[in-house]
Amino acid sequence: MTTPGDISRRAAIGTLAAGAAWFAAFGPRSERDAIASKGKLVLDYWEKWTGIEGQAMQKIVDAFNASQDKIYVRYLITNSIHQKSLIAILGGAPPDVIGLYAFNVPSYSEARAILPLDDLAASHGLKMSDYASGLHQVMRHDGQWTAIINTCGTLALYWNRAIFRECADALKASGVDPDKGPQTIEQLDAAHVATTRVAGGAPLGKGPLERAGFLHLEPGWWSWIWGQPFGGHIMQDGLATCGSPDFVKGYQWVQSYPRELGSEHVEKFRAGFGPYGTPQCAFLTGKVAMCVQGPWMANLINQYTPTLDYGVVPIPMIQSLADPARPLGVIDTDVLVIPRGCKDPEASMQFIAFTQRPENVEALALAHCKGSPLVKVSESFYAQHKNRGVRLHTALASSPRAFVPPPVPEWTEWKDGFDSTIQDLWRLRGEPGPAMERLQARGQSLLDQAAARRAMRGERNG
Amino acid sequence: MSARTRNLISGLLWTSPWLVGFAVFLFLPLAMSLWYSFTDYPLLKPPVYIGMENYTGLLHDDKFWLVVKNTLVYSAFAIPLSTLVSLVVAAWLATPGLRARGFFLGAVFLPTLVPMMAAAMVWLWLFNAENGLINVLLKFVGVSGPIWLNDARWSIPALVLTGLWGVGQMVVVYVAAINEVPAALYEAATLDGMGPVRRFQHVTLPLITPAVLFNVITLTIGSLQIFVMPYVLFRNEQGQRDSGNMYNLLLYDNAFVYQKFGYASAMAWVQLLVVLALTGIMMFASKRLVHYRGAA
Repeated sequence: MTTPGDISRRAAIGTLAAGAAWFAAFGPRSERDAIASKGKLVLDYWEKWTGIEGQAMQKIVDAFNASQDKIYVRYLITNSIHQKSLIAILGGAPPDVIGLYAFNVPSYSEARAILPLDDLAASHGLKMSDYASGLHQVMRHDGQWTAIINTCGTLALYWNRAIFRECADALKASGVDPDKGPQTIEQLDAAHVATTRVAGGAPLGKGPLERAGFLHLEPGWWSWIWGQPFGGHIMQDGLATCGSPDFVKGYQWVQSYPRELGSEHVEKFRAGFGPYGTPQCAFLTGKVAMCVQGPWMANLINQYTPTLDYGVVPIPMIQSLADPARPLGVIDTDVLVIPRGCKDPEASMQFIAFTQRPENVEALALAHCKGSPLVKVSESFYAQHKNRGVRLHTALASSPRAFVPPPVPEWTEWKDGFDSTIQDLWRLRGEPGPAMERLQARGQSLLDQAAARRAMRGERNG
Repeated sequence: MSARTRNLISGLLWTSPWLVGFAVFLFLPLAMSLWYSFTDYPLLKPPVYIGMENYTGLLHDDKFWLVVKNTLVYSAFAIPLSTLVSLVVAAWLATPGLRARGFFLGAVFLPTLVPMMAAAMVWLWLFNAENGLINVLLKFVGVSGPIWLNDARWSIPALVLTGLWGVGQMVVVYVAAINEVPAALYEAATLDGMGPVRRFQHVTLPLITPAVLFNVITLTIGSLQIFVMPYVLFRNEQGQRDSGNMYNLLLYDNAFVYQKFGYASAMAWVQLLVVLALTGIMMFASKRLVHYRGAA
């Protein structure tokens, strides 16, 4: 029963409905709608970069939007991009361009989730030969051009020159030139011993660490690379080979470090490291003298410790394999792909082609402190670059020894095995030989199962 | 149309939002996941029937057995310990004449309101072997703290410890149950010469067994499905650590990282059946162990 002054249920619902209708008809419009209503095609570009890296990409997007009046690209920052993109493509609502990680390309490509780019790229004048040879392994999958390099990451050994100067006598005595950094695994070992400091001047392994020369797990993002400096391979001719003697040697070498320093001392020491991306990062604070990192490390150095005197050398190999003309290059790049079901592949490619103009490639690489993915690089690029190792990082992408993780969709699961195995070995749980044999068996089983499933589906096995 | 039919239609109409929601968001996905568990379904390709292959695959998957072991060991410690701690705290909070009871009850319950992710980040720092508060306190009393998160032997104990963070909800249920125990029974027990411990053992505990059953069942389900805490504590940029890998983490990996949706669905159904079986066993055991007041 309603009394005078009460609002009836019907009146309340009517008022709410009228309000909703008004909002739908005259409420605020998103930027996307506003621009689309001007007759432009709106493309969504999902990218993982934030901060300086994101701002640099946004500038290129803005430049593209200003360069023509038919397409408007929206730069949308997306974390966990490989998973969200997958769900978006699956749900039939993909973006128009995605900035993936290189290791995502095989699974996306085999699932036909991204479009082959051969014809599209050719129609915009892009040629595979314009890119550094090592990068072709990432750009091409199963005989098709599937991804375009956004920024080129290659890994190298960063070393602290100030620490090397401080330990110059010990380094010289062990055959390491303190001005050049370690050139071989043997020299890296010697430099590690010379630059490591134990509390109270105690011998290695006999006390808490004050400084470590080199720790494979700092930052430890690439658990799978350590067999390569010894001549091993994760996979060869479609077969898992990470249990081969040469590959195992790499992990015996990894384990020798915590064995020598004392596993507990190392773990307690590492617990005091700040995460990457902060001024407390171990290389920045001088807690480790050397680390394997990508070119982006220079951005961190410039931002937090601009006075840090550092050098960059290729990841060393064992003496018998070391060859300055063929340095070891681990490729870890970002790529652009066009997802299946996007609004207008031609328009997406037009945007990608714009990003691939040499001046844009170099502008982005400069901001990211990375090398150029292109074969032809301008001298002004090197002159302006804020990474001392840019020439090396760029050259590594063209090295005959440039390598990528196995380009198979099963790699993600296999790699998790590498991550947990290296952590076990690092904590002296288990021996490298049997551990890598298990990992090889695991990898082969994943490859075999995937091949069987593809055969069952009537798909071609690459 | 009879009044009964009108009533039925009216009832169905009023409950239809829930019924539709249940059908679309729960029953249908449940049925679909059962179907997917018999298929090879890499998300971006259509599912293909493969019979029991996913289930037999689980039997031969070392990683599956590792997470089963980890999850069971965690549950075996977390459930009794959380139950014990929450009972002790509840008994203390229900003590007649306790000052500032509301404050303490609030303090115990408050952590359960903190988002699990935020709590996990706090624990991450608490467990830091070098600068973490726990090891600093241990050092203060002359004990060298362990490397909580990087030493395989300490992974499960660390997780169990974090489980105590969320006992507030159980404590509230227990306090409510204890407050329902008739005061006359305590008076009779006191007259019979029972001290506080025996009163709790012989009067309180039997009368709050329905609350214990409820808490243990929900705790069991929660423990077997633990996700956020091990995800934050044992996964970082260096990848995952086996010692802290749990069932739901592997399930998530299979579904959304490795794109093996069929395999993940099979894991989910195995988990559901195990939870149902455990709940059934507990319900069966409760017939003898749980006392409902007023029941014959």
